[in-house]
Amino acid sequence: MLIPLSYNLRSLFVRKSATFLTVLGIGATVAIVSGVLALQQGFASMFTAGGREDVAIFLRPGANSEGDSQFSRDRGLKLIKSIPEIAVSEEAGPLASMEAYLAVLLPPARGGVTNVPLRGVQPVTFEIRKEELHIVAGRKFTPGNDELIIGSRLVDRIQNCRLDDVIQLNKTPFRVVGVFEHEGQFGGEIWGDLDRLLAAMGRYGPNRVIAQMRPGTELGSVDPLEVMFEDDPPEPAEGTLAARLLKDTEVPAKVYTEKQYLASQTVFLSGALYFLGGLLMVIMGTAAIFTATNTMLSALAARTHEVGILLALGYRPVPIFFSFLFEALVLGLLGGLAGCLLAQPFNGVKAGTMNMQTFTEMAFAFRVTPVVLGIAISFSLMLGLLGGAWPAWRAARLKPTVALRQG
Amino acid sequence: MISVKMVWRNLMRRPLRSVLTTLSITVAIGLICFLSTVITTLYSGIQNADNRRLAVMSAVGLFVELPIKYQAAIEKVPGVEMTTKFQWFGGYYRSQKNFFAQFAVDPATLFDMYPECRVPAEQREAFQRGRTSCLIGSALAKEFEWKVGDTIPIIGALNPHPDDRAWEFQVAGIYHSEVPNFDNRTMFFHWDYFEETLEAGGREPGVGVFSVRVAPGADVPRVIADVEQAFHDSEQRVDCQTEAEFQRQFVTMFGNLPLFVGWIGTGVLIAILMACINTMLMSLREQGAEIGILKALGFTDGATFGMLVVQSLVLCGLGGLIGIVLAWATQGAIGTALGTTFPGYTIQGVTYALAAAVTVGVGLVAGIVPAWRAANLRCVEALRETN
Repeated sequence: MLIPLSYNLRSLFVRKSATFLTVLGIGATVAIVSGVLALQQGFASMFTAGGREDVAIFLRPGANSEGDSQFSRDRGLKLIKSIPEIAVSEEAGPLASMEAYLAVLLPPARGGVTNVPLRGVQPVTFEIRKEELHIVAGRKFTPGNDELIIGSRLVDRIQNCRLDDVIQLNKTPFRVVGVFEHEGQFGGEIWGDLDRLLAAMGRYGPNRVIAQMRPGTELGSVDPLEVMFEDDPPEPAEGTLAARLLKDTEVPAKVYTEKQYLASQTVFLSGALYFLGGLLMVIMGTAAIFTATNTMLSALAARTHEVGILLALGYRPVPIFFSFLFEALVLGLLGGLAGCLLAQPFNGVKAGTMNMQTFTEMAFAFRVTPVVLGIAISFSLMLGLLGGAWPAWRAARLKPTVALRQG
Repeated sequence: MISVKMVWRNLMRRPLRSVLTTLSITVAIGLICFLSTVITTLYSGIQNADNRRLAVMSAVGLFVELPIKYQAAIEKVPGVEMTTKFQWFGGYYRSQKNFFAQFAVDPATLFDMYPECRVPAEQREAFQRGRTSCLIGSALAKEFEWKVGDTIPIIGALNPHPDDRAWEFQVAGIYHSEVPNFDNRTMFFHWDYFEETLEAGGREPGVGVFSVRVAPGADVPRVIADVEQAFHDSEQRVDCQTEAEFQRQFVTMFGNLPLFVGWIGTGVLIAILMACINTMLMSLREQGAEIGILKALGFTDGATFGMLVVQSLVLCGLGGLIGIVLAWATQGAIGTALGTTFPGYTIQGVTYALAAAVTVGVGLVAGIVPAWRAANLRCVEALRETN
């Protein structure tokens, strides 16, 4: 026969202060772990939101990021012409654009200086991005003019990023004419006309080429995540577009889908955040388990006499074990709920930190997603389970005569 | 009077609880030491900066190269004693996971500019002589088990070798620096080798950063203004900063990271505080009747108050001490694990002070709550309590 669950709930209520302190202790642990995971989710979602399967990224072979990559203007054009798989629109022609990318030093609103990504694009980019990128204030830059548009996430974070402000790039002043919204990485970038930016910076060519591919095109590229960690990276299979481009004698290039490319650019920071979350889970979890054990042992000490009565009434050790374990689980769950509540204020908070791979500051927001909440609750239940196991075991092993003599 | 023995006996009444509480504090203090060191390490580059050294880079950003000829022009600025050039190489050893910084440098001036970069004299000369030789940091040598005389292939992701193969460098020396802002996980190689190889492939190298040393007695802000002014009408404008400012930009780029670390630390603090108060309240509940006896025997309220506070302090002090020792003992291993992201992970005095203050603070707060209750307990009520 099982012991009624209300017995445990009442017990938790009777020992209010101990229950409250334990729940708060577990809650703080769960909140911190959720916070770090929410950071990772915000960071990851920003990239997966922008990563399209039908957009291909072309880099110089050997380059691992657009910062490493470089094409001359002619070679970029030749490359675009050599790929019949690129989608063509009636008005805009081939849906391919050359892009220049570099980090510029700008002062953040909080003071100091930081590196902000600056991207030079061609007008056709807006055709490729028409579904995902929206001008929310002002207008697009006019090709050939010294004008910039600003990703909405930068507007309050970086100085001089409001409409009609002027940003000085080397010796050329550029005027801010618009603000655009993009859920992915572009929302934290500054965009301008490719040719004007190249001229202002004294650079000779774009860094990468992007293109929207015809529906059903298979690039056949090897996932960069597989390449990055291998000493002898696999090569793309013969006969694929990726293999053909790599061996091209005129303009050799490396191609990835945008989704693959973005995953490869964030793998280290994303991994570091997961690692930090895991580390905190283990370290703070250990401390939280000790607290839960203490609380449950003290609950047992106070109720040894009652356990004796239960045993004398004919309850078996197994139901007593589960009774205490259930109480510990409730304690954990309450802690988990408290933690989720404490983590709520993080949701949507804008943050920025440096991505070591691109060497630029990335702007993104904390996201307390269902995944985070799920992990938080499971984690708290696990804390309760591990913290309650030993005290429950002790309770189940009590001898009725000894237990009755207590208290 | 309360005796040490009484405190100890009370703590040992429930040895498992005392051990678990102590371990929780150990874990938490260890974690606080780690978090605090992450912050101090982040700022160590600024604090250890040499105020006579300046950095000159493109006004646009680090990604933009400066022409080599700028070096001669900088040297003409009054108050400039010497300069040396750096260019980021951006390669990796075998696969991208083995990432570390490589710089093309001028071997003739590097050591004059950075005396903190210590190399045995014969290795230094060997490095200066060999055109394809390189100098590696002690941490790097340890990590990849490289020795003097080894040849290291580096794949030039940013600067591909014109023959479409890995660049090769011979290890001529291993440097070691005790200063946190000159890290031991970097490779330096000859500028001339870099320039000649790139030129063979039809590319002209540029300079990322010029390091400048200001002559003793020169007016540093004046020199900075003059250097910037010298290139105001050239093809690339420059940004000249003190070494401290230059380092600060890397810290700023970490954005809200210091704030997040602070939040995590606060969470840890709340969690252990709750755990300790919980433990002390449990002890009080069990000692209730005894406190009544003590009071009946003539012990003052102050003595019973003190007894509980001392119990709490001993518990926390023990846990904190082990935590600090643990943090100290593991710093080498953690430093290696953090690698390039956080070079120079070393626990500073301020961290030890913080950890000690948190330990004592938690001990006091956790002790005072139950101690207050104990002190205010009326003798008869306490005696009535049973466990």
